[in-house]
Amino acid sequence: MTTFAFDAQVTSAHFDSSGAVFALGDGSVRFEDGVFDAVHDGAILCATVHPSGDGLVSGGDDGRVIWSRKGEAGVLATAKGQWIDAIDASSVTKLIAFSSGKTLSVIDATDIVFRRDFQHERTVSGVAFDPKGRRVATSTYGGACLWFARIADQKPTKLTWAGSHTGVAFSPDGAFVVTTMQDMQLHGWRLKDSKNLRMGGYPSKIRSLAFLSKGALLASSGAHGAVLWPFVGANGPMGREASEIGFDDSTQVTLISARTAHGRLAAGLADGRVWVADPAGQGLNFVKAEKGSPIAALALSPDATRVAWADEDGNAGVAEVSID
Amino acid sequence: MTDTKIPVTVLTGYLGAGKTTLLNRILTEDHGKRYAVIVNEFGEIGIDNDLVVGADEDVFEMNNGCVCCTVRGDLIRVVAGLMKRQKPGQPAFDAIIVETTGLADPGPVAQTFFVDDDVKAKTTLDSVTALVDAHHVMARLDDSREAREQVAFADRIILNKVDLATPEELFAVEARLRALNPLAPILRAERANVPLDQVLGLHGFDLERILDLHPQFVARPAHGEAGHVHDEHCGHDHSAHDHDHDHADHGHDHAHTPNGSDGSDGVSTPADGPRGHSHADDIKGISLSLDRPMNGVKFTQWLDQLLGQQGQNILRAKGIIDVQGEDRRLVFQAVHMILEGDLQREWGPTERRWSRAVFIGRDLDEAALKAGFEACAA
Repeated sequence: MTTFAFDAQVTSAHFDSSGAVFALGDGSVRFEDGVFDAVHDGAILCATVHPSGDGLVSGGDDGRVIWSRKGEAGVLATAKGQWIDAIDASSVTKLIAFSSGKTLSVIDATDIVFRRDFQHERTVSGVAFDPKGRRVATSTYGGACLWFARIADQKPTKLTWAGSHTGVAFSPDGAFVVTTMQDMQLHGWRLKDSKNLRMGGYPSKIRSLAFLSKGALLASSGAHGAVLWPFVGANGPMGREASEIGFDDSTQVTLISARTAHGRLAAGLADGRVWVADPAGQGLNFVKAEKGSPIAALALSPDATRVAWADEDGNAGVAEVSID
Repeated sequence: MTDTKIPVTVLTGYLGAGKTTLLNRILTEDHGKRYAVIVNEFGEIGIDNDLVVGADEDVFEMNNGCVCCTVRGDLIRVVAGLMKRQKPGQPAFDAIIVETTGLADPGPVAQTFFVDDDVKAKTTLDSVTALVDAHHVMARLDDSREAREQVAFADRIILNKVDLATPEELFAVEARLRALNPLAPILRAERANVPLDQVLGLHGFDLERILDLHPQFVARPAHGEAGHVHDEHCGHDHSAHDHDHDHADHGHDHAHTPNGSDGSDGVSTPADGPRGHSHADDIKGISLSLDRPMNGVKFTQWLDQLLGQQGQNILRAKGIIDVQGEDRRLVFQAVHMILEGDLQREWGPTERRWSRAVFIGRDLDEAALKAGFEACAA
């Protein structure tokens, strides 16, 4: 296990082709081998791995989108006077989508002049590419919007549901869009008929969700354990109940991380612990067993063999996962 | 660990009341503090050491079907973003100041700090401060519901531009402000020249500080002021006073018996009603008190029911309750339907044990409120 003590809040943790990467509130990007880059003038608000797999693309409260690789960093886009609130990238189409205020912008990692800006009626809170990288979903007040990433003039497909939606994800088969909500629930739409899925019962706000086991399960934070919704078949979780693993009534799961191709799930807890589990297996494997301040960033590596985390006090670590 | 929550001051006030002047003073005075300022439009502000952030007044209803439970989505996002600047062991800023536009309703701003988990965990609402323009406020209160709500909602009112108004005008203005809001002390100012320690760090939303609640005393207009109530208890020579009854366009509605002082409960202080000249405003503050202990269960049920049924119209409520069989004071505050309450410190041995509460709202039925409150007596 490698540990770090950063002098700043960690916004998010990631794995690029070289290993773990952390994006920080002091505007810096820190690679696992200690390479340090102060790239933003202000806090990094969101980050994702570059479509090439090399380095991190981050959005800051300085209104810039910056690609950081070890030892070099370059500005990919700006949104003058606004914060870059959400970001996602597609390794398939090499496109990057980010939001600033009510605008969704799409840029191309392979074409510096390409940029599309799409306007919303309300502020965009989350962005996500579909698995093919051709469409972008945004979450906003009153629902979600679907945009074709490359088409300049278009009207979005609106998926409506009352309330404030704070984040968004596509299911790995592209059949469902799921949002996190301000009201402590998930909401979903089956795209072929816009049928609504309501997934509630959470005791607190849901900050992260991820699909695993080839899309058969959707995991989320926001409860005393990691909540797993079955997504098998055309109906998804409709009419079915969620299960919960790692239930512990003394704390809550603040973040989860999972990989579509794998059956492993990582969870970060409000008491500072981190565990990895296989829903088909037995028990929890604590990769960080000592308690501390709440886990603020968490990532499972693409091959699901390593975990990176950080807590609210700037303590961070990277560990190998061993499950018997 | 960062246990200390960052205090947030909300600065409200109608267009032209002087918010930007005050904000500029806060940012430029030599106080060595680091502030984050959330504004709607970038003006002539922005100083080293401070961070000025744009906000879009993005109000939304929670999905719980309760129409008055609105919060500001932009504040949730901005506060979450500001917290990322926090360093381990120290707060990101000494304070956050939210400047609302002249037309904004402060309700959703305040509720954001009680409703959202993330915001609640990192910040604490210090106060809502309303600036009003002494020269123009009467007309604004007449024609603007927002102006009335801003005053009604405030923990402190800064009566600005007093140099532009006559003493008579100031008396009339202060009386009307008190009628709208008996809780908020009124501070007179020229060009927003109030001491900053009377704007920041007020603990206006702090349950502990509700212990200071003395609505009758804070709000009672002095003899000779327009808001002063003369009634059968007053016992002095009225002819000596020149009542300011010249603003006939407001429709005077003289107050009736002062609250909690009908003699039966032992509170016989004359003229402790805060409402002298009600200008038939739809919003008013109602003070209630009772000198007998209350049944805690009855009171809680009454308050829950009241806020459930009339929460849309109740902007602010605060109170300290003497619960029978309980040595500690029950204190509560509410913003619309969002209620917060707790048992605080014990009553002092020489302290007067009594219950008092203030409700500020729209179209409130004072007689019914008083009856409901007193029916909670043990």
